[in-house]
Amino acid sequence: MTSRVMRDFDLLLPESVPEVLELLADHKDNCAILSGGTDLLVALKFDYAVDNVVSLALVPGLDDLSFDPDQGLSIGAKVTIADIVKSQDVKTYYPALWQAAKVFATPQLRNTATVLGNIMRASPAGDCSLALYALGGDLQLKNASGVRDVSLDDFWLSYGVTARQSDELAISLRVPPPTAGQKSAFQRMTRTTEDLSKINAAVSLTMADGVCQSARVAMGCVGPTLIRLPKVEAMLGGAEITEDLLGEVSDMVAAEITPIDDIRSSADYRRKVAGILVRRVINLALTEGNNQ
Amino acid sequence: MKKHAITLTVNGEERDLVVPSNRTLLDALREDLGYTDTKYGCGTGECGACTVLVDGTTSINGCLTLAATMDGASITTAAGLAQDGNLHPVQQAFIDNDAIQCGYCTPGMVLKVVSLLDENPTPTENEIRSGLEGSICRCTGYTKIVEAVQDASNRMAGVGE
Repeated sequence: MTSRVMRDFDLLLPESVPEVLELLADHKDNCAILSGGTDLLVALKFDYAVDNVVSLALVPGLDDLSFDPDQGLSIGAKVTIADIVKSQDVKTYYPALWQAAKVFATPQLRNTATVLGNIMRASPAGDCSLALYALGGDLQLKNASGVRDVSLDDFWLSYGVTARQSDELAISLRVPPPTAGQKSAFQRMTRTTEDLSKINAAVSLTMADGVCQSARVAMGCVGPTLIRLPKVEAMLGGAEITEDLLGEVSDMVAAEITPIDDIRSSADYRRKVAGILVRRVINLALTEGNNQ
Repeated sequence: MKKHAITLTVNGEERDLVVPSNRTLLDALREDLGYTDTKYGCGTGECGACTVLVDGTTSINGCLTLAATMDGASITTAAGLAQDGNLHPVQQAFIDNDAIQCGYCTPGMVLKVVSLLDENPTPTENEIRSGLEGSICRCTGYTKIVEAVQDASNRMAGVGE
C-alpha cells in the first residue's frame, strides 16, 4: 500500500473562466483541473504528481444543468452527480443517465463528483460517462483562442487519455434533444453496490412501430476505454427486437469486446456475462426506458 | 507550497485559519481546529468516517475535500448536532437502539443519517440501506443502525409521542 499523505502542490483559485484558461496556458501539462476532486485527490495521495492544481471552486457560471425540448440537455462543468439524480428532466428524458447517476458510488461522492469530471477521467468503467456515450453528446472545450466541439464518440483515446488539450477547459456537455420513440437504459454488475462496476452497459434505441430504427450500444470495463459495439448496433438497426434476435445479439457481444483480468473480475467472467448484460439493458430500455 | 487564509464556520462558530494547498478539510478540522469527532478512516472516500455536512445537510467526505476550496463554508460535525444540551433525535436513536459498538464510524454515520432523513423523512428499509452506502461499519452488521434510522424517522415525524 502506498502513502495516503497528499503530495505537495500549489492550489490556484481563479475567479473566472478567462483566468482559468490563462493558468492552463501557463502551466500546460504541469497542472490538473480540480472540480469535485473525488478522483484527483485520491490520485494525488497515490502515484500522481503535478505542481499546480487549478480549482474551479470560485469560477461562476459552470453549474448550469438545463433542459430544453428543442436544444436538449446542457451539463456544466460543475454539475454534480447528485444534481443529475435530482433532475426530473433527466429522469424523464434521459433514463440511462439518470439510472447511472442513481447508483453512482456513494451519497457523499455523488454530492461532490461532477459529470464532466467523470468524462475527463477517461476511465473504462465510468458509469455516467457510459450512459452519456449511449445517448451521444458534444463537449465544449475552450482555450484562450476559442471554443471547439468534440463528440464523445471521438473523445476517449486510450486509458486515461482524452482529446482535451492541456490548455483547454471542458465548459459543458450538450446531449441531443430526445427524439420520438427513443428509449434508453443503463445496467451494471458490481460486487457490492458502492464498488466500481466490473462490467456495465448502456443503450439508446430509436423505436417505431415495434422496429428498432437505430441503436447506440455502449459497454464499459471490456477494453482500455468505454467502447461502442458497432456489429451489435448494426444487428439491431432496422430489426424487430425478438427473443431470437436478442439471443444472436448476446452471442455477438463477446466477439466485440476485449476484457482483461483485473482486481474486479476476470476476462473470462466478463466475456461470459457481457451478452447477458446487453440483453438485460435492451429489455430494460424497451420496458421502462421511454423518454417521456 | 502556497498557503491560504480561510474562514470556516464550524458548528456555528467562525474560525480563521491558514492552510497549505494540500490540507484536506478533514485534517483542518482535526489537526488545526480540534474537531476530533470527525474521523480518519480510509483517506480515499470509501468508508465515510470523515463525513461532514456542508451548508446544513449535504454530506461530503472531508478526506477528499481541500480546505482551501471551502473558504466561507458552513460545516457541521457530529459535535454540532446537539442543541441546547439535547442530543439530536438521530443521536438519541443510535443510543437507544444500540446502534454503536466501537463507535469509530458513528459520527460520520449519524451525520449521514441526518442528511438522508432531510432528503427523505420516511425512507423504506431499502432506501435506508442504499442511503447508508459510503458509510462503512465493521461492528454492527448494520441491522441495529437500520433500526435506529427507522426510529429516528418516527421520532422526527412525532410518531409515538
